Amino acid sequence: MADSATMPRPDEDDSELKRSITGAQLFFYTLGDVLGSGIYVLIGLVAAAVGGAFWIAFAAGVTVAAITGAAYAELVTKYPRAAGSSLYVQKAFGNKALTFLVTVSFLSASFAATGSLATGFASYFTELWSAPPALLVSLVFVALLVVVNYIGITESVVMNMVMTFVEVSGLLIIMLIGIWHVAEGGADFGTLTDISVSGNPALAVLAGVALSFFAMTGFENTANVAEETIDPHKAFPRSLVGGMVVAGLVYVLVSMAAALSVPTDQLADEGNGPALLQVVESGILPISTDFMTKLFTIIALIAITNTTLVTLVTQPRILYGMAREDVVPGVFAKVHTTRRSPWVGLLFSGLVVGGLLVTGYAVSAAGGGLDLVNRLATVTVVFLLAIYALVIVTCLKLRGHDEDERAFRANTPLLLLGLVGNLAILYYAVYDDPSSLIWCAGLVAVGVVLYLVEQLFGGGSKPRPGTVSRTPKGDL
Amino acid sequence: MHVIVATDGSRQSLAAAKHLKSFADPAKITEVSIVAVIRPLASVAFADDLSEDGFEGSFRDAAQSAVDRIAAVFDGWGPKVNKRIRSGSAANEIIKAARQYEAGLVVVASGGRGLSDAVLVGSTAQRVQHYAPCPVLVVRPAPRKPRKR
Repeated sequence: MADSATMPRPDEDDSELKRSITGAQLFFYTLGDVLGSGIYVLIGLVAAAVGGAFWIAFAAGVTVAAITGAAYAELVTKYPRAAGSSLYVQKAFGNKALTFLVTVSFLSASFAATGSLATGFASYFTELWSAPPALLVSLVFVALLVVVNYIGITESVVMNMVMTFVEVSGLLIIMLIGIWHVAEGGADFGTLTDISVSGNPALAVLAGVALSFFAMTGFENTANVAEETIDPHKAFPRSLVGGMVVAGLVYVLVSMAAALSVPTDQLADEGNGPALLQVVESGILPISTDFMTKLFTIIALIAITNTTLVTLVTQPRILYGMAREDVVPGVFAKVHTTRRSPWVGLLFSGLVVGGLLVTGYAVSAAGGGLDLVNRLATVTVVFLLAIYALVIVTCLKLRGHDEDERAFRANTPLLLLGLVGNLAILYYAVYDDPSSLIWCAGLVAVGVVLYLVEQLFGGGSKPRPGTVSRTPKGDL
Repeated sequence: MHVIVATDGSRQSLAAAKHLKSFADPAKITEVSIVAVIRPLASVAFADDLSEDGFEGSFRDAAQSAVDRIAAVFDGWGPKVNKRIRSGSAANEIIKAARQYEAGLVVVASGGRGLSDAVLVGSTAQRVQHYAPCPVLVVRPAPRKPRKR
């Protein structure tokens, strides 16, 4: 070997620990994943709930989410594995049923998020081409992403970065419009403190937080790449919490810019189309409004696509993990011989999301008065808030276990604050929209059916070691 | 000569390793490096079909057990056996490894005999064939034979 003369070195040093995700890439992965998920879609609803001061809702929401992110960072640096929340809960409680419930909830949250994002995609798409019906657009969108995922284009780190830059650029446009409007002297700063809802302003903000929380989600998917991050003990806390703080800052500035540029009631009126498009169409910048609208629409479509891709990568992965543990039927552990992609899981995920979209369409066609984006976003948020709260509890419970001096340690009072925050938002989200629980139950039922199918028909060919060995372990 | 045997955790990659052993002269091979590549952003970053172990949420463990399984093929054969786990795009990393170790041969499996290989460009085996700095042995599955375990 060429360099063996220079220094005696351990045989495996260049390879055994060779990882490929840098701290910067992780930062952009977090940022892209969080930014795409809600601000492009939900900002009008939040403005309607709170009034001109709706930036406070985004600030409060992202604070709770960033604290939760810190708990994730602590757990990831202790257990750098792709399994994420399911693994932590299993480690902390060793209860198979609870782990199953958390895994299925996480999967369900991901399905609902994909559905909401696909519907949001369709609402922007009509700005470019309004001929095809929204349901068709969202179904084709999901189908295309399934194919893209199958081929493996999503694996490109470079593409992920490029899409994140595009995503950020769209929000920079909104900020620029806000700054321009302020510089022209047209802005009324009183709007920023206006909580125009009758009743308790704190409750109005809480309602806004519950609605906006969908925009904060996505960061939990970074556990996907935990194992492959270079120097995770340092990189993970910085990039995850850093990414969320930056995302939060962007959210607050974008909300302020939107509130200053366009009257709140106009933002809140959904009949006008996506709220951020209202800001672009306000004609504040001395550039052709038509051009800006088209440009912004394309940016929004790319942003939503980026986040949806990550959710669609996560679903087959969860199903794969469960199939390998003999919790769901073994077909989900099948990977394509050449592509090495879990095509059954991908196809299934696409079908479940398609089913959600069709159901939503059918309910609203039957006069259910359903806002599908909002409903599926709420379902996602209900699942994730419960998981986030549990993850914080898990983080505290696992203190003193598997301690590693290199591991990140989140601030305990902050974690308690985050726990209270998650539970308060969860309570309000359910209180505000109790029928979302029906949808939650439906999605969990899909997981339970898969479990029953495996228990009744699966495992005939081989013994199921998982069911025996994975009962609570004494060493935890 | 340094030979790289790539594994994606498929049974075909095990067949490829066995195929190399069936005809190559161990006296002419100085080292064998078993290379597995984890794809961090893929749905399943590494799928190990070679062992029946459960999957406990670690793709690194999965890659490790696949590499161990392939390395076992060369137990007592003669050349020194290295186990390498890399991270990134599969084809790129195999090619980089070939350069880095100054390999004289790369052994890869090609799983497909169906349409997918013909229609979708850019399978790992194809890319390695095109860009590797050394000869490449692509081991294809026997046509229309029932799958063996």
